[in-house]
Amino acid sequence: MSNILIVSLLFSAIRLTTPMLLAALGGLYSERSGVINIALEGLMLAGAFTAATITHYTGNPWVGLAAAILAGALVALVHGVACIQFKADQVVSGTAINILFLGIPALLSGAFFESTGATPQLPKGQLIPMAPIVLAFALVPVTWYVLYRTPFGLRLRAVGENPEAADTAGVDVSRVRYLAVMLSGALAAIGGAYLSIGQSSLFARNMSAGRGFIALAALIFGKWRPVQTMLACLLFGFAEALSIQMQGVSQIPVQFIQLIPYVLTIVVLAGFIGHSRAPRALGLPYQKKR
Amino acid sequence: MLRQKVPWTLGLCLALIAGLAGSGCNNLAKAAGDPKKVRVGIVFDSGGKDDRSFNAAAYRGVKRAAKDFPIVLRDAEPGDPASLEPAMRAFAEVGYDLIIGIGFAQTPIVEAVAKDYPKQNFAIIDGVSDLPNVASLIFKEHEGSFLVGMIAARTTKTGVVGFVGGMDVPLIHKFEVGYEEGARAANPKIVVIQNYVGVTEAAWNNPGKGKELAVAQIGKGADVIFAAAGNSGLGVFDAAEQYQKYVIGVDSNQNWVKPGFVLTSMVKRVDNAVYQIISDLVNHRFKGGIHVYGLPDGGVGIAMDQYNEKLIPPDVLRQVEEAKAKIIRGEIKVTNAMEK
Repeated sequence: MSNILIVSLLFSAIRLTTPMLLAALGGLYSERSGVINIALEGLMLAGAFTAATITHYTGNPWVGLAAAILAGALVALVHGVACIQFKADQVVSGTAINILFLGIPALLSGAFFESTGATPQLPKGQLIPMAPIVLAFALVPVTWYVLYRTPFGLRLRAVGENPEAADTAGVDVSRVRYLAVMLSGALAAIGGAYLSIGQSSLFARNMSAGRGFIALAALIFGKWRPVQTMLACLLFGFAEALSIQMQGVSQIPVQFIQLIPYVLTIVVLAGFIGHSRAPRALGLPYQKKR
Repeated sequence: MLRQKVPWTLGLCLALIAGLAGSGCNNLAKAAGDPKKVRVGIVFDSGGKDDRSFNAAAYRGVKRAAKDFPIVLRDAEPGDPASLEPAMRAFAEVGYDLIIGIGFAQTPIVEAVAKDYPKQNFAIIDGVSDLPNVASLIFKEHEGSFLVGMIAARTTKTGVVGFVGGMDVPLIHKFEVGYEEGARAANPKIVVIQNYVGVTEAAWNNPGKGKELAVAQIGKGADVIFAAAGNSGLGVFDAAEQYQKYVIGVDSNQNWVKPGFVLTSMVKRVDNAVYQIISDLVNHRFKGGIHVYGLPDGGVGIAMDQYNEKLIPPDVLRQVEEAKAKIIRGEIKVTNAMEK
């Protein structure tokens, strides 16, 4: 393989990693606070659709990105209200959001563009292909710092491990969890926005195509830690880039090559990561004792 | 405290479901209200009617028919493959006169539903059924693809051309094989790189992956890429614009999508086919069986318009026209990948 191909493989891997990394970092905040976030897929779709729509109307991708962040945080707030306020099953609530966002973009695009699930294509000048990539990788050390070196990070980890103790120490468990869940929505939405106004130039229905779930797998593979999660995302991104580069050159059937990222997901999750311990209070609603 | 909240949320959910169900029934009931008009229902495939390509062509056709004939037209766009059949049955149940399924994935569904409603008429695009009340509308995509393959091979400066297919299925291989044969006919030394977005329905709606595939092909030297991938193909258009290469559109005339970068489009006149079948029905001439659309009737072909007239030199066009005539006369045989 020539040098040019290796360089293009690397760039492709980084582009493919970006949306997953943003969603996985989002999931990290939520899950470290004790709230399972299986809704990453739906949150990405919410961000992707909002970004494409608002960019189309304003002509400014930065406004679109800001709107996507807002939309992601708001949708995540719904998940938060269900899980924190009403103590609903967190997996069920997340799944509901995923299903909801198969339908909502179709409904809204019907109202805005007389289409069902796709937005008009944006001109090249209205795309932000670089910023989300830089942001995604910059957020890894930032997340590490927030998590391990700030009071907020300490509280976040505390409510995810032992909410009773945190509560006794005077931490408002619900407040921290709400913040974490909304932050996760905002980050996943940036990942989605990258898909619609960074990598491509329109929203197509269900365009996240499972990336939110792979992000979740990367988060578990990365043991809920920022740097390891990034490495896991890079591994998946690299596998997908490799499958793209290998298709059509080698004699291996396409179907087999396209299996690579998924087989890799199963293999690493089933065998190679050793014991991955979830935050102790993950999935458990917190009921303040009176 | 918890117990009080449950009825409230439950009530909201029920209200939502009732609202959705109500609006759906309403539409059908309204449509069913006018017994004099011929009623046509169309079920799109997962690309959705705004894919600017295959489904969009079908939608144009039925809209034109609705303008020309006194028909009642309703469409359904199932979001996932599992809701195709309920959508089709819903039309059949309320007595629609013609129900059109768009896309090969609906072939078994049309067969099943048409068997249960033998007095109603059905049409399937890109699929074949033996039932007497089903019209199978199929296209010779391989022949149209042969022509765009020739244009690609005559345009490339690197001697490498690409193909990005959507879902890896025999129907799309038909495009790919025709394209490759056409490219070889124009330049025996041509290198054709082919990629598919995926192996599930999601492959039609993944422009990000479509773009990555195109970028990888451009990295390997491709400077003309034929995209037959629904919405995913629009990612190929983005890549062509970004790297200043050429893309060839599919199904609908997509020359306008990125003017200057779209060499031509392999049009598949799904619009004409559905228009024709509706017109047959309205004029009581509906016939089941196989209806083939190819080069002689303009069912497939190349799109030339103001957006690409400067991109293709006259001698290339002349060569393409000659090849077209030879294919029609049977002097050039293009392999049909679905008959292998």
